[in-house]
Amino acid sequence: MGKFWSLLFLLVPILGVACFAVAPWYKIWLPSDVSEHGHMIDHLFYFILWLTAVVFVITEVALFWFMWRYDGKGQYRTAKFMHGSHSLEIVWTIIPSAVLLFIAIYQMNAWADSKIRNPAAGPDGIFGTADDMPPTLEITARQFEWRLRYPGLQAKGKLGGDDDIFVVNDLHLPVNEEILLDLKSSDVLHSFFLPNMRVKQDAVPGMKIPVWFRATEVGTWDIVCAELCGWGHYKMKGRVTIESREDFDKWLEEKYRDQTATQDTQPVGQGDSE
Amino acid sequence: MKNNVFRELRVMSCLALSCLAIVTVALAGCGGSDAPQFQLNMVAIADAQVPAAQQQELANVLEAMYGTPDEPFVLGDSHLDIKLVRVAAGPVRSDQFGRETGLYRRHCGHCHGTTGDGQGPTAMLLNPYPRDYRQGKFKFKSTERAAKPTEYDLERIVREGVPGTAMPSFELLPDTQIKALVEYVKYLSMRGQTEIDVINAISALGEDEQLDTSRAVLVDEILVPLAESWTTASEKIVQPDKPTAEPNSEEKLASIAKGRELFYGTAANCVKCHGPSALGDGQTNDYDDWTKPLVEMAQRLKDQQKSLNENPDIPAAERNQQEAQIAFAHEVLTNDALPPKNAIPRNLRQGVYRGGRRPVDIYRRISAGINGVPMPGVGPATPGAQGTLKPEEIWNLVDYVMSLPYEPASRPPRQDQLRFSQTQQY
Repeated sequence: MGKFWSLLFLLVPILGVACFAVAPWYKIWLPSDVSEHGHMIDHLFYFILWLTAVVFVITEVALFWFMWRYDGKGQYRTAKFMHGSHSLEIVWTIIPSAVLLFIAIYQMNAWADSKIRNPAAGPDGIFGTADDMPPTLEITARQFEWRLRYPGLQAKGKLGGDDDIFVVNDLHLPVNEEILLDLKSSDVLHSFFLPNMRVKQDAVPGMKIPVWFRATEVGTWDIVCAELCGWGHYKMKGRVTIESREDFDKWLEEKYRDQTATQDTQPVGQGDSE
Repeated sequence: MKNNVFRELRVMSCLALSCLAIVTVALAGCGGSDAPQFQLNMVAIADAQVPAAQQQELANVLEAMYGTPDEPFVLGDSHLDIKLVRVAAGPVRSDQFGRETGLYRRHCGHCHGTTGDGQGPTAMLLNPYPRDYRQGKFKFKSTERAAKPTEYDLERIVREGVPGTAMPSFELLPDTQIKALVEYVKYLSMRGQTEIDVINAISALGEDEQLDTSRAVLVDEILVPLAESWTTASEKIVQPDKPTAEPNSEEKLASIAKGRELFYGTAANCVKCHGPSALGDGQTNDYDDWTKPLVEMAQRLKDQQKSLNENPDIPAAERNQQEAQIAFAHEVLTNDALPPKNAIPRNLRQGVYRGGRRPVDIYRRISAGINGVPMPGVGPATPGAQGTLKPEEIWNLVDYVMSLPYEPASRPPRQDQLRFSQTQQY
């Protein structure tokens, strides 16, 4: 019974590591990555995960060992008071600082690629004009939906014309192309999150924030809001469909035709549900 | 040694007790609530001064005709599909195959309310308020002003949402779920309208008369015409016969110019409410059909109270009765209705179109007007009749209105402003 508590606390590192070990079997690990830059994000994630895992296990085992070794039962030595160890404090300040500094430098490129080197700003990333690459579309987050606005078919990528195409929640994008979107919010903070593209960006009222990525696989994935935005946050779900350029153009044209309809055909047999 | 064991046992029992306490609190928070009930339309009841005994009778009649939120029921004469209604009704659940029920409570109830009265818990926070289905009036639809919407109209609203309001899009729900929700909205709307009809029947009763709850009255006189208004909605679709001009053509520019004339002209008189700059800043003190009865009732109560105060020689018995009536109506207005808001005309320069942005949608808004709000229709009231404007003139207005978001608000020329200030009548 005397060693009960130390063994109980030994369960923390064991179960903690076990959770991570079995998670992929239960499919609660990272979602599939279908973007070009996603591997960089995943690499950083794994790097930090391993780093913290090693520190976590060492710390927990040390804690266990001290509890086991210096269990109060059967120990009749008086405890010795120690004011502190200056050199030890320096060591445990410098090592984490060095690790943090390393991570800060090591991740710079990944951060710059996904948040700073805006493809609309030209090849040097600074001196280009917005005309170098018009946005694929504008996304306006709203309680509780994603309103999408594509440039019109005649507008050659320019948003704001009278033939803009308006869609809600159903994002379509071409595969293997640089996608640039302008993210806005019309009410509160939201966060545009494409788990499978490793893209997450807060939408801030009053700001137009560029977001860019390149999807590498055809398919359908989720859009979710990753910032608690009100009571309907849970219903702020969208769908992103990555498709070939031809399919995308066809879809866009269909949306345009639908939006410019001057007559509509309603399905017949209304009201005869019996 | 023994002491130690006791100490550890005490620590552990403390832990166990606090866990138990947490679980108890959590469980108490979950269970124990009663099954949701449909609420009576207290505003209509207070308006018609239905006595308490007959309120119970009204509730019984409605339950016999429509069931309860958990156990909905429909009569064959309602032409509602009970299977679809059941998918949308009841508590939020899914069976072992993942089939979901309780869709209305999951997606809609917190704004539109269990009864469909537009008074769910979150309704108060919204501007505009969520739709109250019980009057059977729907704003954004393809049919003539007073007609019911088609199922396709309701489906479009559920799918697309209503931009500019708090109604979000449910585009990603499976088709069958959307169908079920549309059927349930129809169910709630028919139930609410039946309630109003029965309240009217009660208020038309004489002193000692009893409400006739026979089939001949409830079904043949009330339900059948109501169901027919829904099943015949698709015969009343406003379908423009002539498409508008091609974009970017000379013809289109001419049409926009003509639309502008009409906008400021006296026949359509859009400028009266939408304002000389089309910013929705014309007449803004009107109310919609859901709010007007509340405002009128509040005014009536005020007048009644005033006349009571001014006439001291009213017998005490009558005075007490009247005061009780006023107190009851006041309570209803506070507890069973949201604070009134004005119906604000649309700002046409934002490019946000609540009922859809297709030209055909705008045509229908202008031609049929918007049911339940001051926006009048300028098209023919019935097919083949003569409207205020001809179809091509309505198209001109559509073109002008749809060009407004792309024109700077400062552009209305001075002469337009002047002409408007000379001709304005209100």
